[in-house]
Amino acid sequence: MSEKRFAAKDVLITDLCGVRLKNPLIAASGTFGFGREYDELYDISCWGAISVKGLTLHPRLGNPPSRIAESASGMLNSVGLQNPGVDVFIRDELPWLSARGLVVIANAAGSTEDEYTEVVRRLADSPADIIELNISCPNVKEGGLLFGTSPSCAGAITKAVRRVCRQPLMVKLSPNVSDIAGIARAVEDAGADAVSLINTLTGMLVDTRTRRPVLANVTGGLSGPAIKPVAIRMVRDVSSAVKVPVVGMGGISSGDDVAQFMIAGASAVMIGTANIVDPMAGPRILGEFERFLVEEKIDDLSTLVGSLKAK
Amino acid sequence: MMSSDKELNSPRERTATIISKIHAASDVVELIMEINEGREAAMLGSRFSSPLPGQFAHIAVPGSFLRRPLSVAGFDDESGRLRIIVRRAGKGSSALASLPVGSSLNLLFPLGNPFPMELIESFGKVWIVAGGIGLAPLLFAARRASQRRLAVRSFVGFRDDTHVFGVEELEEYGPVSLVVGGVVTERLSEVMDREAPGLIFACGPAPMLGALRLVCAPRGVRAFVSLEERMGCGVGACLVCNCGIKSPDGFAYKRVCADGPVFDISEVGFE
Repeated sequence: MSEKRFAAKDVLITDLCGVRLKNPLIAASGTFGFGREYDELYDISCWGAISVKGLTLHPRLGNPPSRIAESASGMLNSVGLQNPGVDVFIRDELPWLSARGLVVIANAAGSTEDEYTEVVRRLADSPADIIELNISCPNVKEGGLLFGTSPSCAGAITKAVRRVCRQPLMVKLSPNVSDIAGIARAVEDAGADAVSLINTLTGMLVDTRTRRPVLANVTGGLSGPAIKPVAIRMVRDVSSAVKVPVVGMGGISSGDDVAQFMIAGASAVMIGTANIVDPMAGPRILGEFERFLVEEKIDDLSTLVGSLKAK
Repeated sequence: MMSSDKELNSPRERTATIISKIHAASDVVELIMEINEGREAAMLGSRFSSPLPGQFAHIAVPGSFLRRPLSVAGFDDESGRLRIIVRRAGKGSSALASLPVGSSLNLLFPLGNPFPMELIESFGKVWIVAGGIGLAPLLFAARRASQRRLAVRSFVGFRDDTHVFGVEELEEYGPVSLVVGGVVTERLSEVMDREAPGLIFACGPAPMLGALRLVCAPRGVRAFVSLEERMGCGVGACLVCNCGIKSPDGFAYKRVCADGPVFDISEVGFE
């Protein structure tokens, strides 16, 4: 009898606020575009879901270059929500993603409460499966992160969007706060069905020859393995503070990383920067996570989620 | 036909071994790599891994978090050997230039859009305009043009004698104007005043490309430039390597990795 190397497929099935994912791995917003580029390299329907590039009401040009800088075990980016606008997404990108049978998470961004609610309203009748409210982008001057840094603002925007949102609503939280659990509670009270965390940590780098910031935008968002310990700690804090599912992210680049986030309390995980470094990260990490489940004899993911033992 | 060509040339993650390393000029190293899969493909008579002039390889450099995009400076379809010319500019390129022969690397390639080689024929000739390490992709373009028996004339600038490389190779393909420590586009402009220019392929520092546009625009000379920008994924998804491009609405960002790196000079904003 051959050795069992992969977990039975149904072990991986994950329920995320009523939406069935074939596995708990989700491509993180901003690193995967609308999926087309990676689909040229492999069949992207291997992902549990895809969270698309952040969508605003109107097309956004984004920030001037340079938009990326390398850091120890990570990278700093300042793309600034460049996107074609929500209407173009619904018309040109969403039909293709849906036809592929993918679970689509539409990442909604904006500068004002009106913009957020209008973006989500336009997505209401679309086949997008889940709305991810991005109140944590550090790379746009107005809005974005501002909404995500106080419990009252985060709660208010969630409440406003909840009224027009017909899909499950997940709110993406910023780590650039003193009490992320307090913000998570505020958005849960305001009607969020799930929270995803962490977005990038605000940072900057300096070119010592020119004495200018490396990024044209001065600051950017730090991502990659450098932020993983911060993210795992925050996933633990938030998952013990709220009842809604927590989707964890921040530097995940192996199957073992997925397991760490899930043990810390994440029901599913998002993988972002790993895609940029390793174009095959999605299928590779899924394979590694399946082997972990076999080795640990796990046949029910719920026995893994939040199974952290006290020291 | 286009779609099948694209399939043939679609990017893949590959492993390569450095089989030779030559010190080409001050801070400039030429690496020849054997693409394992490329060799197998060549043996099977398949061309699917062959890069075209202007395309690049996104190389995972040991010790660096992000991959580094390097222009393909040559590719031998028979042996599946890839030529990369790297200048020690920062941490990643220096680490790549320091790798010993025998080192194994992970590459994602071929990526990006090539120079429009097919356009040369309607112009009858191609003029190469290069500054410094920008010559790397143009050596490949000049070689392929020459193999097609197309006339090649080159204008190359280097900041000083110690940085000169590739000139003898270019001379095999046609006349070369070498400018050391000066402005290569001034020489180009002088020659253009007495000789009908060919289709121009160029690569080099932004000020050189900006000056090239000023030389070409009033004369209606067509030129294609290969641009460089700090890069993330290399496949067009992450939107970090954008450059300003003129659009019907005035201005837009395009992706150097997936929309370029080769652009028509008339649409690029060098500001």
